[in-house]
Amino acid sequence: MITLRNVNKYFYRGEAREVHALRNINLTIKEGEFSVVSGPSGCGKTTLLNAIGVLDSISEGEIWLEDREIAQLSAAEKTQIRLNDMGFVFQAYNLVPVLNVEENIGFIMRLQGYTQEAIKERVLDVAQMLQIDNKLDAMPNLLSGGQQQRVAVARAVASKPKIILADEPTANLDSTNSMALMEMMKELNTKENVTILFSSHDDYVIQNARRVILLNDGELVS
Amino acid sequence: MYRVRTILHLAYRNAFLRKSRAILLVMMIGLCMGVMVGLEGLYDGMSLHMIDKTMRSDCGNISLFAKKYRLEDDIKYHISEADKKVQQLKQLHDVVYALWRIQSSGLAQTARKSTPAKLIGINIDDEEHFGKFSEFLKEGELNFGKSGVFVGNELAKKLKLHIGSKVIFTTQDAHLEIQSIALRVKAILHTTNINLDTRALFIPRETLTTLLALPKNSATQIAVISKSKEIKTLQKSIQSLFPTLDVKRFVELYPQLKQMQELMSVFNQITFFIVMSVVFIGILGVMYVSILDRIREFGILLSIGYAYRNIRLQVLIEALLLGVAGYLLGTIIGLAFLGYLSYYGLNLSMFAEGLNSFGLDSTLYATMKLSYFISTFFAIIFASLLSVVLPLRQLKKLNPIEIIRSTS
Repeated sequence: MITLRNVNKYFYRGEAREVHALRNINLTIKEGEFSVVSGPSGCGKTTLLNAIGVLDSISEGEIWLEDREIAQLSAAEKTQIRLNDMGFVFQAYNLVPVLNVEENIGFIMRLQGYTQEAIKERVLDVAQMLQIDNKLDAMPNLLSGGQQQRVAVARAVASKPKIILADEPTANLDSTNSMALMEMMKELNTKENVTILFSSHDDYVIQNARRVILLNDGELVS
Repeated sequence: MYRVRTILHLAYRNAFLRKSRAILLVMMIGLCMGVMVGLEGLYDGMSLHMIDKTMRSDCGNISLFAKKYRLEDDIKYHISEADKKVQQLKQLHDVVYALWRIQSSGLAQTARKSTPAKLIGINIDDEEHFGKFSEFLKEGELNFGKSGVFVGNELAKKLKLHIGSKVIFTTQDAHLEIQSIALRVKAILHTTNINLDTRALFIPRETLTTLLALPKNSATQIAVISKSKEIKTLQKSIQSLFPTLDVKRFVELYPQLKQMQELMSVFNQITFFIVMSVVFIGILGVMYVSILDRIREFGILLSIGYAYRNIRLQVLIEALLLGVAGYLLGTIIGLAFLGYLSYYGLNLSMFAEGLNSFGLDSTLYATMKLSYFISTFFAIIFASLLSVVLPLRQLKKLNPIEIIRSTS
């Protein structure tokens, strides 16, 4: 589903402070996988996820989403890829502050042009699955961290993307909420066959993943 | 369609969910616009009021004179059979009313003072039809009675005349003989036309014709009020009807008033420019701060697939919504302000003397024109759109990953 070929990423290339963040990454992520990118801080986990999510450019190599090379697309095309094919869950939740929970969850579907009825039905389904259906009218600033993260997951899942990229989704959560979120993600992976790629150094997350991709100093270890 | 609806939804939420910002901006636009529209109406009202009173008290839209009369100011250059000519003029389609007057320059004197003045022979009924003459009455009553005279208020002040005072007017008749007439003040008039208020005495037309030994129905001026907007065309047709007479439009007779109107229009444009600049800077400031405040939000939106063009449209709609809300408030304030000023006027009686010396009433009335609201609407829309250009340029440079990195 996603294939990375000889991906290299440099920061400040050509300068004295050059950082080689990703080194010759060759990786394939298959449909329906539940994987986690792990490694010590600064090993390139977030950079790898951002590269796969075409949020960040790469310096060398290719990234294929199914049969389409996506790393060299224009900014507008990358935006379309992010909108239609990918779901994102960020460490800082990143909900739209002026939209309530229901609107946040349905936001991407709205942009994709789904009807109001379809959005409402899907939002309710996902919200029930993530146990936030009683918070649909609430504004994000009135939710706890765990609830906000569940809304962020619901937003990522609702539009049924090909892959969900979650960058340290449990970093700001306590252990109870982290466990609950992981359970829900596993359930989503099973029920909806959503491909999920985490980045995390949380042991609980790593233990629950079906595949662990280990990075060290920008290199793929396993 | 869905995209536009979503953008509209977000723009509306962002525009009005931040209440203090929205209220501040809307009130600023509304107040600026209300005051500006009020000032525009007042400036225009001042000049229109002066023009209107000058037309009504003197020359109408068009005046006819015997050739050379205006240069020589001599009654030998008079219009004969003015009554017939007036009747002919009244037959013209665009003419609302016409009248004739006779006028002679001379000396007005009391026992202690004297001053150059002009004696104008009028018919009160004609003047009432022509220019609502009774509205100029300041003191006394509009009835000549026996030897009655109406005096301009500034002239009355100069000669220290009151109702019932006696005044002698001395002039030269058509045979170049000196003639005097003793008159008693029956009314004091305030026309705001400086020419009349400072120099004119009004007596019955027939009395003056006899005093000047002129043939019956002689006139020095025929004045015409017209409803036509094509005064030049009417002037041409009157000129072809009376080729031996001088036919002049208001602007040719009172160029200074036309200049004043143009000056007021320049004042209006300057006020408009200043106020719209303030509005522009206000919207720019609020939108700029608001956008910088929401950089993170825009970064999130970009990262989850909300295109830059959507953000651009959203920000434009936000600015437009706030601008239009401000405009609506400004329209209400402006209408109320103009309504008050055009009905009650702005009472500046403490500056009455100064204003009167410029030919202005001590109460200034505003006028209301649709054009104030139309031009302001487009200016506010333009200012709103222009105000987001700079913030949008900043947004275009936005790299979502940097925002997310900085907030993670």
